[in-house]
Amino acid sequence: MQTLDQTVVDAPTARPALPRRSPIATDALSRWRAPLSILALLALPFLLPSQALAVNVLIYGLYAVGYNLLYGYTGLLSFGHAAFFGTGAYVTGIAIGTYGLHPLAAMALAVVVASGLALALGALSIRSRGIYFAMVTLALAQLVYYVALQASTWTGGENGLRGFTVTTIDLGIVSLDILNPLTKYLFVLAFVGAALALISRILASPFGAVIEAIRENETRARACGFDVERTKLLAFVLSGLFCGLAGALSAIHLSIVPLDSLAYHTSGTAVVMTLVGGAGTFFGPFVGALTVLVLEDVLSLWTPHWQLALGSVFILFVLFMPRGLWGTALARLTAFRGRA
Amino acid sequence: MNRQGPGYGAVSRRTLVRGMAAAGTLAGIGMPFVARAAEPIRIGFPTPVTGPFGAEAKDQIRSAELAVKQFNEAGGLNGRMAELLVRDDKLNPGEAATRTLELIEKDRAHFIVGALSSAVQLSVNEITRSRKVIYVSISQSDTINEAKDFSRHTFHEALNPHMTTAAVAKHAFKKGTRVAYLVADYAYGHEMLRGFKRAAAAIGTETAGEILHPFGAPDYSTFMPRLRAMRPDILCICNFGRDQANSIKQANDFGLKKVSRIVVPVLLHNQRLAGGADAFEGVVGASNYYWRLEETVPTAKAFNDAFRAAYAGAVPTDYGAYGYTAVRSLLMAVKAAGDTDTDKVVTALEGLKYDVAKGPESYRACDHQAIQSVLITESKKKSEMQGEADLFKILEVEPGSEAMLRSCDELGHRA
Repeated sequence: MQTLDQTVVDAPTARPALPRRSPIATDALSRWRAPLSILALLALPFLLPSQALAVNVLIYGLYAVGYNLLYGYTGLLSFGHAAFFGTGAYVTGIAIGTYGLHPLAAMALAVVVASGLALALGALSIRSRGIYFAMVTLALAQLVYYVALQASTWTGGENGLRGFTVTTIDLGIVSLDILNPLTKYLFVLAFVGAALALISRILASPFGAVIEAIRENETRARACGFDVERTKLLAFVLSGLFCGLAGALSAIHLSIVPLDSLAYHTSGTAVVMTLVGGAGTFFGPFVGALTVLVLEDVLSLWTPHWQLALGSVFILFVLFMPRGLWGTALARLTAFRGRA
Repeated sequence: MNRQGPGYGAVSRRTLVRGMAAAGTLAGIGMPFVARAAEPIRIGFPTPVTGPFGAEAKDQIRSAELAVKQFNEAGGLNGRMAELLVRDDKLNPGEAATRTLELIEKDRAHFIVGALSSAVQLSVNEITRSRKVIYVSISQSDTINEAKDFSRHTFHEALNPHMTTAAVAKHAFKKGTRVAYLVADYAYGHEMLRGFKRAAAAIGTETAGEILHPFGAPDYSTFMPRLRAMRPDILCICNFGRDQANSIKQANDFGLKKVSRIVVPVLLHNQRLAGGADAFEGVVGASNYYWRLEETVPTAKAFNDAFRAAYAGAVPTDYGAYGYTAVRSLLMAVKAAGDTDTDKVVTALEGLKYDVAKGPESYRACDHQAIQSVLITESKKKSEMQGEADLFKILEVEPGSEAMLRSCDELGHRA
């Protein structure tokens, strides 16, 4: 039971987790983490400079949470998650634009295709480890990128995919006006909230305990009788699934799919957001996405040298907050409650 | 004085607070009505301030700001002033889409002008056309003219690859000339190649060969001997920005200029500055604007003078001029419409005949492409330059005509 409701864990390669001094301390935060996260996200569009930015935070937050499942919890550093994000986005766009599918059906298809791709890429890469795993995933994702670049009749190539703008989504009883920014936010939040609840459930399951066991000590997990390869592959597929969903939502949000959504720096974005927020924490990646996107948005309004400022912030995080913003906050909270 | 009670004629603090609160509330309710009367005309301007086209973006912003300033100094629209909301799109279509959403939803921009790349302008256009906001694109593209991406709210002030390649070919290609092509392997490169080959077929030139190079390639040394072996009369280099400067420099190093003439679809001010006079010497290309147009065109003179006065003697560049012509003509249309109402401004823009910097321009009805002159320029020898900004010789000004454009039918617009 020890690992199941544990919210504070260290980055994958770091020292073993601190012993928890008080089980009550983080209990509420831990047990109610999904509903609490959704509540926090409900306030977002009213706090941020714009709703378009808030929707981006939701989408990239989900993308980072999906990525964190593999990196933060299973301990596998992938550099190719753009493949799933981009595939989710492209499949949604093509299904709506070319085949006239209902947006919800298109998104479902996108999630299925992205998971299928994750199964294929995972099967090819999962047996390598460390830096080799990172390189193999990067190379495979680049393959997907070049396929999209070449298949321009399907994807629009360099110019990106266009012509599938969703203005309303017919849900049978009601029809949602997606051009209204707040409606769009709530629509996206419905999916992100459901995904968060699901991820929370997955992490609390025995499977969640096993992936953390693999992260902490793969040999021991194997010795305990767990099928490490299959567990890793399943984690990879689940991670790809949630990243694919994030991609599908981004297609609905932006009404375009840029080729960049498959590029390697989109993969890098997931890593950066997860690290800034806190790898291996449930809500950390969201905090990371929020921090990175808001900083980018606000800084670039003030100065053309925003990249300099943003880079400095990242360096400071890596040096002084290796657990990320959320990870550090949780650790402080635990320590404080433990003393009290 | 007694601190507990109000003195003679004084107002108690509580009353004062109440009064202020009431006044504040009233002002708050009243504000929107007051504000609407003098509501500024907001022009959203997404442009890649950071990234490889930063220099071009900076020129576009300066020119656009000049156009806004002139409009405001002339009294605006019956006292309604214009303002330019510049946003960094980071040369990333996704970022540009988000910024455009912000400009429309949060900043309530009336119009969007800007973007500087084919993919970015198409993504901005996708956002604006579904929200029925006017977008004036100031970056080259053939795709945005086509019926698939067009909307009533899409305007294209920039030249397109079809126009520039046709003008360059008309000037440089002769029947029987052998032309070799070096092409950047991406959408814009392909559009330029298509334009050249089409013009070449009509003129009757021979194709000596074509080589595709990866977008953003720093090294062209493997391509140059192959191009030289083709023995072309003309080497046509179809790429943009840094690629252009790099490939021309290396073509020069490999002595290609001794056997053939180098032509490019667009010859840019900033790239010529980056590449240097020696590398570019004798290179022929097209552009929308060059400041020495002022010797023949009075509006160019007026534009340059205003620009020099505002920016310490600097002259506007080609891509910079797009920012001016687009914003200036848009504001002329607003004035003609007498309102910022989208439908009225679209109609005004469609009917507008404007000459603001480079001679007469107007938007074609079917695809809203600006019909305008194309300049054919040649890069000067260092010894012939009179001053640092004197980069090119204007060989020809191809006057604007619909014949330069692909027909409405071909683009898929129904008559």
